[in-house]
This record gives sequence, C-alpha cells and structure tokens, in this order.
Amino acid sequence: MSLLDIKNLTLEIDSQSGWIKALDKINLVINEGQIHALVGESGSGKSIIVKAIVGAISDRWRITADRMTWRGQDLLTMSVRERRKIIRSDISVIFQNPKSSLDPIVTLGDQLKEVILATRLEKGMFWNRAKRRKKYASELLHRVGIKDHEVYMRSLPHQIPNDICQKFMIAMALASQPKLIIADDPTRGMEITDKSQILKLLSRVNQVRKMSILFVSHDLLAISSMADHMTVLYCGQTVESGRMSQLRKRALHPYTKALLESAPSFRSDLPPKSPLPSLGGTIPTFQHLPIGCRLGPRCPRARRECVKVPEVRRIHEHTYSCHFPLHRDKK
Amino acid sequence: MNDLLSVENLTFENCHGKRWQRKGTKFTLGPVNFSIRAGETLAIVGANGSGKSLLAKLLVGLEQPDSGAIYLNERKLEQYDNKHRVLNIRMVFQNSNESLNPGITLSSILEEPLKLNTNLDSQARMRKVEQTLKLVGLLPEHRFFYRHMLSDGQRQRVALARAIILNPQVIVADEPFAALDPSVRSQTVNLLMELQRELGLGFIFISHNLGIVRHISDKILVMKQGKVVESGKTDVIFHWPKDEYTKKLVQAHQALISGQD
Repeated sequence: MSLLDIKNLTLEIDSQSGWIKALDKINLVINEGQIHALVGESGSGKSIIVKAIVGAISDRWRITADRMTWRGQDLLTMSVRERRKIIRSDISVIFQNPKSSLDPIVTLGDQLKEVILATRLEKGMFWNRAKRRKKYASELLHRVGIKDHEVYMRSLPHQIPNDICQKFMIAMALASQPKLIIADDPTRGMEITDKSQILKLLSRVNQVRKMSILFVSHDLLAISSMADHMTVLYCGQTVESGRMSQLRKRALHPYTKALLESAPSFRSDLPPKSPLPSLGGTIPTFQHLPIGCRLGPRCPRARRECVKVPEVRRIHEHTYSCHFPLHRDKK
Repeated sequence: MNDLLSVENLTFENCHGKRWQRKGTKFTLGPVNFSIRAGETLAIVGANGSGKSLLAKLLVGLEQPDSGAIYLNERKLEQYDNKHRVLNIRMVFQNSNESLNPGITLSSILEEPLKLNTNLDSQARMRKVEQTLKLVGLLPEHRFFYRHMLSDGQRQRVALARAIILNPQVIVADEPFAALDPSVRSQTVNLLMELQRELGLGFIFISHNLGIVRHISDKILVMKQGKVVESGKTDVIFHWPKDEYTKKLVQAHQALISGQD
C-alpha cells in the first residue's frame, strides 16, 4: 500500500487580485521504502507542498484535493488533533536552512532531547529518565555520524559548522522513528564532501530502517545519486513524474529536458567553455502566471494549443502533461 | 603573452577573540601564488571557512595583505593606489539580492561607480548605463526599476552589470551561481562566458559546484584551512589529483555523477 497518496491537490492563496492557484492539480504517490525526489525551481511550490502535507497551513490558503491519504486515512477530513498525532509520530521534516530553523538560544543537546518521545525510551524508574534520554540522544548522534557528541550537545547552533547542524536536524528527524522523512533541500549551500556525506546518511537511513524519504531539492546531481522516483514541478504544476532512470534516459517534457541539460556534469561529451543549453526567460511570479500550460512562454515547442492546460497522460509508470512531448511526434 | 594578474606569496593573518583574556584563535591565509592571463578563468574551490572569500577580498582590496604582492599587468598594486585597482578589478558579491540597495533605482546603483571613478557628465553616464544594461541582456527601461521588481536571474545580471560598467580587466565573483535556479544558472553561465569572450576579461570565481567549475574554468586553486593545497589546470586536477583533499573532492563529485554511493 502506498504511504502517502495525493491526487489533484490544489492550493489557492488569497491575494489582492483574487485567488491564485499556487498549486494546480498536483499528483504525488510515495510508497514504502522509496526515495522520491521532488524537483523544481524556486517558486515552483515545493515548499508549499511540504507545508500542505504536514498541515502547516495559513488561514489565507484554501486546499482542495480529490484524495490526500496517509496509509489509507484521509488527512483532509481529519480533525486537527488526530492529524497532529499522525504527523508527530510518523512524519518528520528536515528543514532547508539548519542554522535558522534551530533555536539560537537553546543548546543543541536540549533541543534534541526535547523531541524524543517518552515512549521511545527504555523502561525504567523516573529518577533516571533524564539519563536514559541523554543516552538515547547520544545514540542518535552516533548514528548520524557525530563523534564528539558531548561537545556538540553543549554548544549553540552558531558555534558549530553548517554540516554538523544539518546532521543534528537529521538526528532530530530520526528521533521519533518516523515512516516518512521529508527533506526540504537538506544540502543547500554545502560543499561537495559534506553534501555527499549527508546524502549517504539519508540513503543509509532509507536502506536500514526502511524509511521513505521525500527529497525536495533543485540540485539534480544530489537527486540523481539517490532517488528512485522523481516528480518535476514547474510553477505549481506537475510536469512529469516517473522512475529516475527513465526520466534521465528519455525525458518527455521539454522542461525536464532543459533541467537535466542545465547540469553540465551529466554530459561528458560537452566541450569545455561551450554555451550550455538553457530556456530563455525567467520563472513567472505567482502574480503573473500564464494561462494554460505555465511553461508556455518559455517553451521552445509551444504552439497554439498550449493555452489549454494539458491533460495528464500516462505510459506505464511514467506520467507527463504536455501537448507536444519530446520523442513522441506523430509521423 | 603576459600575465594579466599575478599574485605572489600573499599572506594574511587574522586573530579572533580578545588576546588579553584567552589565546585568540589564529587564522592564517597563504602564501598564495597564482597568475591568470586575459580571457582565462580561475576557480577557487574549498571547504567553508578555508579562506576563499578572504582571498577574493584581498584581491579587490577590501582587506590589506600582511605580506606579498599583487601584480596587474606586471605593475604592482600598492595600497595607496586604490584608483588603479578599483578601475580594473571589480567584484560580484555573494548574495546579489542583498548587495543591491533596495531604496534606489537601478540607474542610480549603476551610476555610482561612474560618478566616483570617472569624469563623465550625467548624459554620458546614462548612455553608459544603458549600454551596460543591454550588454548583460536587460532592457534600457530597466534603469527605472527597483530591486524588488526583478527576478533572481535579473538581479544577478544587475550585479554583473555593476561589475563591468567601468570596463575592468578582472572580475572577482564570490559564489555567483549558488543562489540561482538551474535554468537561470545556465543562462548566467552563458552570459559570463560570452562577456569574457567579447571583452577579454580575466575571471576569478569561487564555487562549490564542481560541475560548473569543470565546465568553465581553465585553472583551479584548491584551498584548505587557509592553505593552497593544489593548483593547476582544470583537466589535470580532475584527472590526476595529487593532494588527499582534492582526491576526496573529485571522488565525491564523480560518485554523485555516476550515482553510486
């Protein structure tokens, strides 16, 4: 059974010029033990999806969905209390910028101990509960690869390097032993050795504990090294979704192709200093969204039909929404 | 061909903390040696806190080195000779979003270096601003815009326009591509390479993205804890890394590309 199943999620934001569709019919299915990547540029609504899943929703947003279930239970009709219970025990989020999402005036050890549920501790007497909690916390830190846990647990977020902060965030996410970890751009602004360490850590967690990971990022290099499935977003629309290998080999949507080509590392045949292929124009803001397929104005293959929103089409596991996909021209 | 910019035994020492209370932690940079020719690109790679940004600041003169010398066209850059340095070495700052003044229009932002460093009158300045905006792929009308009206890629273009408006010979950029999205990033990379070809700029940049480093740079300087551990041609370093740290970097990069952990 799929862990998280979202169908036609639409999220509208109230603004001066009426309701804006920040997310437009998003489909996302995450199965157990899977690493699913959510790729998109800034402003494509990746973080909004994360917020919609964990229920951190503002009053000025309106959410409608055909289906949004967590292991068969409907998340949308659930009461806030029940939903919070599920989120607390089964889903945890690693936020983008570890230094700004950790509390700056509480020591890291205290922050980590705070998220450990009492039910996760061994049985024992109440007077050494603090001790057991500390032991559990240091075990968590060892698991994510921090050796001097004594030193780091006493320090504040600004005193330690960025990658250790991120490891603390991951330890905090693992503390409640969730089913799904949502990693919201965990490797942003990191150098490559730290990045590959964090990625290895995440994929090990996935293999050893069978946790699913929803990996939200725009760093294709990081994604392609670990994810098995990928969903590409553009401006709040799902553009293409399918197996990573398939998408890399034969992307059907022009946007996916442009995205893959924008990383020079993927192509060994590219001569140095040659111009990189790129789409013209920039990402539209939410106030000025084009109608129909939102890639329209930037798309090299756009024709008149593109002012209508394309239907979602499917070939086996591979879904895409484009009127004129690549590789499938009619003879 | 002569070297455009060369750096010899550049060192810098920085003490954190109050020395009379406890022993301050010392950070020493260098000695750094490198040289680039016109139209060449040098990439500086290294861990956080390895002194990459400090080196960039030393080059543009935001910090004064303790010893060593920087030569531009075989002429030594002296401390009092700021004008010469300012006209020829320009910097693109790390966060283009925050380095632009939100309160003034783009024309005022771009005009400022002209006002301070040239004798052009206001009409000539305006013409220059328009030319530069066109050169980086913006419209002349953009000079009436404010920072918040632009997208990330356009801001990066403005930051670049500010750097090239004085017709410098060298541009120093501190992580110019880090904050950009993939599709906008490749646009910016293309723009930079095009400008370099047209104007014959020497380009020094700091980046974490080894894919881009490999693509656009001619030489690489690898830094670790203030020391240059390896430097040389891009191809050589990527194929035959010598130092332990460089090997680690290149291996991590290759592992990410091939998808094997």
